Amino acid sequence: MKNNQKKLKRKSMGAKAKRRLSNTIIYIILVIMTVVWLFPFVGIVLESFKTETKMQTGYLFPREFGFTHYERLFKETDFLLWFKNTAIMGIATAFLQTFFILSMSYTLSRLRFKGRKFLMNFMLILGMFPGFLTMILIYKVFADFGLIMEMAPLGLIIVYCASSGMGYYVSKGFFDTIPKSLDEAARVDGATRWQVFYKVIMPLSKPIVIYTILMGFMAPWGDFMLASYLIHENSEGMSVAVGMFEWLSATNLNTNYTMFCAAGVIVAIPVVTVFLLLQKYYVEGVTGGAVKG
Amino acid sequence: MSFVHRLTMPFQYKKECKLSLYLIMKRLTDLEYLQLNKFQAFLYKLKMFFVSIPLWFKGIGLSILGFFKSCGLAIKNEVVDIVTTFTKGNWAVKLSFLIFGFGNFYYGQIARGILFLLFEVVFIGYMIVPSGGMYWMSKCNWFQVGSTVGTVQGGNIEVELAPGTGFFVEQWVDGDDSVKVLLYALLTVIFIVAFVITWRMQVKQCRICMDITAKGKKIKSGKDDLKSLLDDQFHKTLLAPSLIGILAFTVLPIIYMVLIAFTSYDAAHDGYANLFSWVGLEHFNELFDFGKGGLGLAFGEILSWTLMWSFFATFTNYFLGMFVAIMINKKGIKIKKFWRTVLVMTIAIPQFVSLLYVSNLFTTSGIIGSVLEKIPFIHDWRVSNNFVSLWDSPVVAKILLIVINIWIGIPYIMLMATGILMNIPNDLYESARIDGASSVQQFTKITLPYMLFVTGPYLLTSFVGNLNNFNVIYLLSRGNPLNSEIGVAGGVAVGHTDLLITWLFKMTLGSPESKYYMASLIGIMVFLVVAVLSLIVYNVIPSTRNEEDYK
Amino acid sequence: MATLKLTNVKKVYGKDTVAVDNFNLDIADKEFIVFVGPSGCGKSTTLRMIAGLEDISGGTIEIDGVVVNDLQPRDRNIAMVFQNYALYPHLTVFENMAFSLRLKKAPQDEVYEKVTKAAEILGITEYLTRKPRALSGGQRQRVAIGRAMVRDSKVFLMDEPLSNLDAKLRNQMRAEIILLRQKIDTTFIYVTHDQTEAMTLGDRIVIMKDGFIQQVGTPTEVFDMPINLFVAEFIGAPKMNTFKTNLVCENGNYYVTPYGAKIAVTGKKAEMLKEKGVGSGEVILGVRPEHFVLSNSANPGAIPCKIVVNEMMGSELHLHVVEENGDRLIVRIPTVSLEDEQRKALVYGSTIYVTFEGKVMHFFDPETQKNLLV
Repeated sequence: MKNNQKKLKRKSMGAKAKRRLSNTIIYIILVIMTVVWLFPFVGIVLESFKTETKMQTGYLFPREFGFTHYERLFKETDFLLWFKNTAIMGIATAFLQTFFILSMSYTLSRLRFKGRKFLMNFMLILGMFPGFLTMILIYKVFADFGLIMEMAPLGLIIVYCASSGMGYYVSKGFFDTIPKSLDEAARVDGATRWQVFYKVIMPLSKPIVIYTILMGFMAPWGDFMLASYLIHENSEGMSVAVGMFEWLSATNLNTNYTMFCAAGVIVAIPVVTVFLLLQKYYVEGVTGGAVKG
Repeated sequence: MSFVHRLTMPFQYKKECKLSLYLIMKRLTDLEYLQLNKFQAFLYKLKMFFVSIPLWFKGIGLSILGFFKSCGLAIKNEVVDIVTTFTKGNWAVKLSFLIFGFGNFYYGQIARGILFLLFEVVFIGYMIVPSGGMYWMSKCNWFQVGSTVGTVQGGNIEVELAPGTGFFVEQWVDGDDSVKVLLYALLTVIFIVAFVITWRMQVKQCRICMDITAKGKKIKSGKDDLKSLLDDQFHKTLLAPSLIGILAFTVLPIIYMVLIAFTSYDAAHDGYANLFSWVGLEHFNELFDFGKGGLGLAFGEILSWTLMWSFFATFTNYFLGMFVAIMINKKGIKIKKFWRTVLVMTIAIPQFVSLLYVSNLFTTSGIIGSVLEKIPFIHDWRVSNNFVSLWDSPVVAKILLIVINIWIGIPYIMLMATGILMNIPNDLYESARIDGASSVQQFTKITLPYMLFVTGPYLLTSFVGNLNNFNVIYLLSRGNPLNSEIGVAGGVAVGHTDLLITWLFKMTLGSPESKYYMASLIGIMVFLVVAVLSLIVYNVIPSTRNEEDYK
Repeated sequence: MATLKLTNVKKVYGKDTVAVDNFNLDIADKEFIVFVGPSGCGKSTTLRMIAGLEDISGGTIEIDGVVVNDLQPRDRNIAMVFQNYALYPHLTVFENMAFSLRLKKAPQDEVYEKVTKAAEILGITEYLTRKPRALSGGQRQRVAIGRAMVRDSKVFLMDEPLSNLDAKLRNQMRAEIILLRQKIDTTFIYVTHDQTEAMTLGDRIVIMKDGFIQQVGTPTEVFDMPINLFVAEFIGAPKMNTFKTNLVCENGNYYVTPYGAKIAVTGKKAEMLKEKGVGSGEVILGVRPEHFVLSNSANPGAIPCKIVVNEMMGSELHLHVVEENGDRLIVRIPTVSLEDEQRKALVYGSTIYVTFEGKVMHFFDPETQKNLLV
C-alpha cells in the first residue's frame, strides 16, 4: 500500500518534470523559429544601411552605416512614382474589390435563388483555368483603350477588381456562420432584403469587411505577374514590384542590390503598419471564414 | 434469447472461416466488419476502394447522362411553353413574337416593354450596319481550317506619290487585325445568344401576364419591379456588377483563349502585320511529341514536378503549421501573442521583397550561401559540378524551394489551425485523458481527424493554389536551372523548377516567339489536370460534399 | 386581431419531400392556437409559411380574408418570436425592440412610448440599454417577445419560444405567456413539441404527425376523446398505456379481458359502444397511468405484475411494471392515497395487482388505429 503511494507520488513528480522539459523544448524551438523568421527582415534592414552597392560576401552587419541608398532611391530612380502608383492601386483595389466580393459572397451565402448552385459550380470550374492567360486578350484590348504603360495603374485596378467576385469563398464562409434566423426576424419585422443587408448583416460583419479591405490593399504590393503584362519598359506606370524586380536582373544585381533592400524597407513600412494595426481582423477573417468556406 | 443469439452469431461464423482472405472477398455487413483486425480492415478497405472505382465512373457517367436528359427535358418544356404561348395568346402576344416587348405594352408594363424593344432595335441595328455584326462574322471564317481570321492582309504597297508623277513610295496600308476580328466575331456570337435568351424571356413574360390576367389579378408595374430589386429580387442587384465583371474579364477572355488554341496566333502571326489562321486540331498533335523539345515531353516533365511541388508544398506546410500552432497553444507557454505576431509578419511583407532577398541569401556570395561555402564538402561538391551557386543544382534548388516555401506558408496555416484548435471542445480531450490517452494519442485520435475533416476543402484549394504558385517559384528560382534534356519547348527554354504556370508566363511574356496558341493549349491542359484532381478530391473528402453541414 | 384561414396548404421540399399536406384550419379572432407534434411533423414549416418565410407549394393562406400567399413577410403584418430568439447582437435591447418601428419610420416619441410600455409589461426596463450578449436566457426571451409585442400585429407567431430555457424558467415563462395573452389581445399561433405547453396554453390544439393534421380540438377534447392511437399516446404524461386485448359483447354488456383479467365497460363508454354497435373482437385498449389503481389478487379484474422502476415524483409515484407476458405498463399513484407501509412495499421486484375502472377506457381499432367511439 505504502509502496504504491510512493510510486504514484514519483509518477506525479515525473509528470511535472516531463511537462517542464517539454515546455523547455518548445521554447527552444520557438526561439529558433523566431530567429529564422525574423532573419530576412533584419537582414534587409541592415543591408539597406550598408554603403556598398554590391551584394557582399558573408557579413550581416554593415561595416559602415549610411543612407546613401535611400538618397539614391529618391534622387536617381522613379521609386517614389512607383510607390505612389502602387499606393493608389492599393487603396482603389481595397474598396472596389471589397464591394465585389461582399456582394457576391453575401448573395451566395444568405439568399436563395434559382441558379445559385449552378453559379457556384460555374465559378469553381472557371477558377480552374489559369486565369492570367486572359491577360493576353486584356493586354490587346487595353492597349487600344490606352490602359497600359503609363496608364497601367488604372488598367490594373480594373484587372484586379473586375473578376474579384470569384474570390468569394472566405467571406461566404464568414457569412455562413451568422444565424439565418436573424434575417428572418428582420424580414418579419418589416425589413426588405436590402435593409436586412445593411442594417443587420453588415454591422455584424466588421471583421470580414476589414479582412477583405486588407487583402485588397495588399494585392498590388505583392503582385508581379499580372502587372508585368501591362507595364514594361515604361517607368512611369510601374508598380513597385515590377520596377524593383528589374533591379535584380543578372546585369543590375551588383549595382542595385542594396538599393533594392532600401526600397524593400520603404515598401514594407505601409503594408506592415496597416497589417499589424488590423491583424486582429485578419486573424478573425482567416479563422472564421477560410475554414468554413 | 434471440438478441443474444444474434450477437454471438458472427463470432461463430468467424470460427468457421478462418481464412481472412475469404472475409475480404465479399461485401461485409457492419457487424462482420467490426470483427476484422487492423490489417484485415485495411485490406478490406483497399479492396472496397478498387471495387468502387467502376461504380464511381458509372456514377459520373450516369450524372452526365442525367445532365443531358434534364437539358433535353428543359428544352422540350421550353418549346412546349413557347408553342402554347403562341397558340393560346391573343394578337398582342402573337405580335410580341416578332416585336419585343409588345406583350408587355399590351399588359401595361411600359418600362419593361421599352427596354425589350430597345434591345431588339439595338441588336438589329448592330447586326446590319456596315462594320457591324454581320461584317465581323463574315470576316472571321469560323473554324475553317486554312482560312485566315480576317480577310485583308495589311502590308506595304507601292503607292504613287501624286497622280502622274511616276514616283512610287512604299507605304503601309492597314489590313484586318485578326485579334480584333476574332474578338468582335466572338462578341457578336455572344450578342446573338443574348438576343435569343431575351426573346425567350419576353415571350415567357407574355405568358405569365396572360396567366395573371386570366386569374383576375393585378400585374406588377414598373415601380414594383424597381422595388423588388431591393427585396425579393435583391440577388439580381447584388450579383449584377460582379457577374458583368466576371463575364467581361474572365469568361470572355477564357473563351477567346480556348479559341486561340485552334489558330496559329504567335509573334510571327500577330494578327495586325500578319493575319493568323485557323489550324484546327493541328497543335494538339504536338502534345504527343515526346522528343527533345517536344511539347509532350516538356508538358509531362513539368507537370510531374508541378504535382510533386504542390504535394510537398501543401503537406509540409500543413503539418508543420499545425505543429507550430499546437506548440504555441500548449498550456503553459507564455507570450503566445508574441510568437504569433512574429510569424504573421511574413504575411505582411510583400512577397517579392522577402523572396527576392531570400533567394539571394543562398547564392555563393549571399550570407547563408557563403557560410555553407566554408564547409569543404559543399564547396567541393559545387566546384566539381560546375555550379555557380546552390541554385544551379536541380535537386538542391527543388529542396530549397520547398524549404523556403515552408517559411512562407507556416504562418497562414498556423493562424488557421489556431482558430480550429480553439473550436475543438475541451471535453473531448478531457474524456480522452480519462480514457488513458497520451498526448501523442490525443493528437492522432482527436486533433488530426478533426482538423482533416474541417480543413478538407482548404487542403484542396491550397493544393490547387500551389499548382499555380507563381510568386514563390518565379521570384526565387525563375524556373532555373535550365533543363538540357527538354531544351526549348513552346519557344521557351524550360527549367528544372518551372511550374506549368511559370512556363506559360514565359511563353506569353518575354519570349520572342510568343507562341500564344501553345500557351492556350497548355492552359487547356492545366484546366483538365486541375479539374480531374478536384473531382477526385471532392469525391474522397467527406466535408466538401455538403455545404449546409457547417451551418 | 385577425382571423386566419388555411385551405389545403401544402409544402414540398425539392421534388418529392412532402413536409406538410392537406392542412385545413380556421382560426378565430383572438384565439390561441397551438401546433404540437414530434419533431419533423411539419408544425414549424406551417408556421413559417404563415409568416412568409417559406414558399407555399399549394393551397392558400388568408389573413383577415386576404390571400397572403405571394406577400412578403413584412407585408403580412405579423410578429414572430424565434426559438433561438434571433436578437440583433449589435443593437441594444431598446434598439432591438424599436427595430420594426424605426423601419416603419415611426416618430421617436411613439417608439419610446411603445418600447418602454412593452418593457414594463415584461419587466426588462432596467436592461434597455444593454446588448443581448449581456442578458441571461430568460431575459433574452423576454426581449424577443417584447420585440414582437411592440408591433401591434394581426397575428402573433411563436416558434418553440421556451425550448431553449431550463425547466424551471420554462414553467415560469409559460405562466407569463398566459398573463401576456390577457394583456395583448391578438391572435396567437404557438408551435411546440411539448404537450404540457400545448395543453396549458392553447384554446385549441392542432396535433400533427408526418405533415398531416391528426386532430384539432380543445385540450379537454383531445385528452378525453383522442381521435387515434397517436394522439392518445402523444397527449398526457406519462403516456397512455396501450395493449391488445379482446372486447367481448355479451347480451348488450361489454367487458374486456386484459391479461386474463375481466373488467366490465361501464358508464358513458358502454353507452357509446352500444350506440355505435361495436361487436366482439380484438381491440387496442388505452388506459392512462393515472386511471390505474392498486388492487388485490381477489379482484377478478386485477392484473398481476412486477415492479421494475419506481419513480418517486413527490406528489405521486410512477411505477413501471412488467406484466407476465413482458408488456410494460406505467402506473401513476397519488402518494396521499398510500399508507407508509404500503409505500415501502412498492419496491423493485415486488409483485403488485393493478386494475382500472370501466369508464376510463379508450378503444382503438388494431388495423386503422382509429378511436372506435369517434
